[in-house]
Amino acid sequence: MMTATSAAGWRRYFGWNTDHKVIGVQYIVTSFVFFLLGGALAMVVRTELAAPGADVLDGATYNQTMTNHGTLMIFLWILPVVAGFGNYLIPLMIGARDMAFPRLNALSYWLIPPAGLLMLSSFFAGGAEAGWTAYVPLSIGGPPGQTLWALSVLLLGFSSILGAINFLTTVITMRAPGMSFWRLPLFVWGMLATAILSLTATPVLTAGLILVALDRMVGTHFFTVSSGGDPILWQNLFWFYSHPAVYIMILPAMGIVSEIFPVFARKPIFGYRMIAMSSMAIAVLGMTVWAHHMFTSGMDPRLRIPFMVSSMVIAVPTGIKIFSWLATTWYGKIRLTTPMLFALGFISMFLIGGLTGIFLATIPVDLHVHDTYFVVGHLHFVLFGGSVSAVYAGLYYWFPKITGRQYDERIGRAHFAINFIGTNLAYLPMFLAGLLGMPRRVADYDPSFTSLNLWATIGGFLLGISVLPFLYNALLSWARGPKAEANPWSSLTLEWQTSSPPPPQNFAVIPTVTHHPYAYGDTPGAEAVAAPATAGAGGSR
Amino acid sequence: MRERTLFFSAIIGIVLIALGILVATQVNLMPVEASTRAAAVDQLFRVLLGVSTVIFLLVEGALLYAVLRFRARPGGTGEGPSIHGDTSLEILWTLLPAAIVVVIGVYSFQVLTAVEAPGNRPLVVEVVGRQFSWGFRYPEQDLETTELHLPVGRPVVFQITSDDVIHSFWVPGFRAKRDATPGQISELAMTPTKIGRFPIRCAELCGAGHAIMTSEVVVETPEDFDAWIEAQLAMAGDPVQIFNTMGCGACHTLTAAGSAGTIGPNLDELPSVAGARRPGVAAEAYVTESIVNPDAFITPGFQPGLMPKNFGDRLTPDQIQALVAFLLAQP
Repeated sequence: MMTATSAAGWRRYFGWNTDHKVIGVQYIVTSFVFFLLGGALAMVVRTELAAPGADVLDGATYNQTMTNHGTLMIFLWILPVVAGFGNYLIPLMIGARDMAFPRLNALSYWLIPPAGLLMLSSFFAGGAEAGWTAYVPLSIGGPPGQTLWALSVLLLGFSSILGAINFLTTVITMRAPGMSFWRLPLFVWGMLATAILSLTATPVLTAGLILVALDRMVGTHFFTVSSGGDPILWQNLFWFYSHPAVYIMILPAMGIVSEIFPVFARKPIFGYRMIAMSSMAIAVLGMTVWAHHMFTSGMDPRLRIPFMVSSMVIAVPTGIKIFSWLATTWYGKIRLTTPMLFALGFISMFLIGGLTGIFLATIPVDLHVHDTYFVVGHLHFVLFGGSVSAVYAGLYYWFPKITGRQYDERIGRAHFAINFIGTNLAYLPMFLAGLLGMPRRVADYDPSFTSLNLWATIGGFLLGISVLPFLYNALLSWARGPKAEANPWSSLTLEWQTSSPPPPQNFAVIPTVTHHPYAYGDTPGAEAVAAPATAGAGGSR
Repeated sequence: MRERTLFFSAIIGIVLIALGILVATQVNLMPVEASTRAAAVDQLFRVLLGVSTVIFLLVEGALLYAVLRFRARPGGTGEGPSIHGDTSLEILWTLLPAAIVVVIGVYSFQVLTAVEAPGNRPLVVEVVGRQFSWGFRYPEQDLETTELHLPVGRPVVFQITSDDVIHSFWVPGFRAKRDATPGQISELAMTPTKIGRFPIRCAELCGAGHAIMTSEVVVETPEDFDAWIEAQLAMAGDPVQIFNTMGCGACHTLTAAGSAGTIGPNLDELPSVAGARRPGVAAEAYVTESIVNPDAFITPGFQPGLMPKNFGDRLTPDQIQALVAFLLAQP
């Protein structure tokens, strides 16, 4: 029988396979490839912006580069990679043998490579140039590639919806005996909230994309002003999904961080129930804030107020989480492993992203900074400093579980250091540039912004370089790293109570759960918990 | 033990709040304040900056402290204490941020109402965004120009729209923008308070020329403003005036009109090259086509798709004829 690490075993990852662990890896590796592609585009963007003047690219090519950078990063990197983590971890964490619908699961993954190819092919069909936001009428009149872009996003949304159905059904119906909702690991709570958002919001984007495709291909006039169409309609349809989309990108990341902190502080997660409920609150509130992207659109001024209110209120559950993570470390016994470093980096950088979000929520300030580099700085702090840090943390944390081998800790720390410095250097200057008057999505800028942009470019190049130690570490360790034990981190969640990597059926015997998975320190001062899997003892100590 | 914690917390609290106030009052991250709106927005911004500084230092400080103070001893494998939560702490860090959010929300609402209210007897200026320049129209004086001049101290209401795709009219010095959306007129109220020249930037991706869609607002004394209006009206019909009103100088060099744009071909050369540019096409026909159908022929070395295509609609045949004759008659 082939094991996950046998030479023949790697072939499974390239074909149709209904094992959620294989699908999870497929998701993660595929999306990482698009991360590298999107990152390469970012390097081109930052090269252009290193000096004023459209010196490297002309305006149209720059717009294509920038559009595809954002589109790849959002739709082909972060959204699928968090689904990949969900896929790999949910059945293991709840004590199930697979997802509720394994074949639907495989289909969800296999929509991604063709959608990705469709997206890349749009480059050769004139490109999509209207930003990842594809505002109309600009995107209606754009080159042919824009239609391919729209169809690609449609496919990816479809994949997202199918995945959400699977996650929800699995968590609701397939938990091991004793695994009540209040004993679910926080990563699973995060994925629950995420799945609800995916299911509710994505269909609205699908509808909008269909209208755009119809206008472009068939000659309808949903968005043509001279025929009674309304460009603002697109903005509402788009943002109704795309704002929840950012919570889809952050809630799993927060879930990963919630898993890592207790393990490497050797303390229970602080305020478990509040964190779980905050995830759900963020999901619900997240559906009510979308028009804060439209404060300058000329929308009815009175309608802006409730959106300002909800956008500020959402800071409260977010703050609860940050304080709870902080409190988890307090009085703990902190081990600064690579996953922990990235999780700590997540908090410090997500904090900056979150605080700058308040500046954007308040309408008078937003009217100045909307569509400027202030927003670019904000979004990269939450998405790169936030989500990507957490993804890295998760990749390192679950590396031994997924691959059965251990990564090199020193190279991991070096990766963290370069990544942390690069992120701050790249994105802090952007806040200043935006406040002082630099709009976003420009190939050229006033010379007064030169030094800010140069610093950002240097930071960006550092980030490009930072991937190298990660790739080296991941690939070499996967192939030849030291074999990992079942539970190298002495963690209490169920995925660590089976072998690394898990057997195809996940558990020899489905465990019976007797209490929640963060019982670190219940025997204070004693040896660290190392829990071999025993029938009926999952999660308890 | 509790008194010590309270004491240290109080000290840290005071220090942080002092730092927050320091940052809020001393750090200036905004461009020049050129409108009444700017003063109010900057004040709100500084308050937010101060509050954010306090929160940032608190959380990052606590994080750093925890990492240093509670680090596991090398080789140590013991567990930490079994602390699952603290109800009063959790209530505090829910209610305190909620209170801050309420205060900021109410303050923001007040600022918003104050700055968005149109002033008394405002000067109305229509703003039209086009790929890739701004056009302005003063309905009171029935004047169309590409220069935005405003009298200092008089309230203005911009009525903003677009001829093609969505643009966004932004004057950083004034601290507000409003999208220029085709098919609708969006209003933006402002009162300029400072004499000077302030950049106008397009703040919504509008195509290949988005980055070059910049202009300038000239705020001047009411007397100078009136004089400028007079001068503009007097020059209507003059080819140089047409050239400038249509914004040609933003992209073309034409010494006779005092412009030095470099995005499009240098028009000083036109008399010598127009006849030969397109074999079989006479100079006048070539120049006329270049104005009304710019993408028909792209001068080598320049980009297609940047020059507006609707000059044929915006100019009368007489105006185009006068312009063409003027361009070819240069010395």
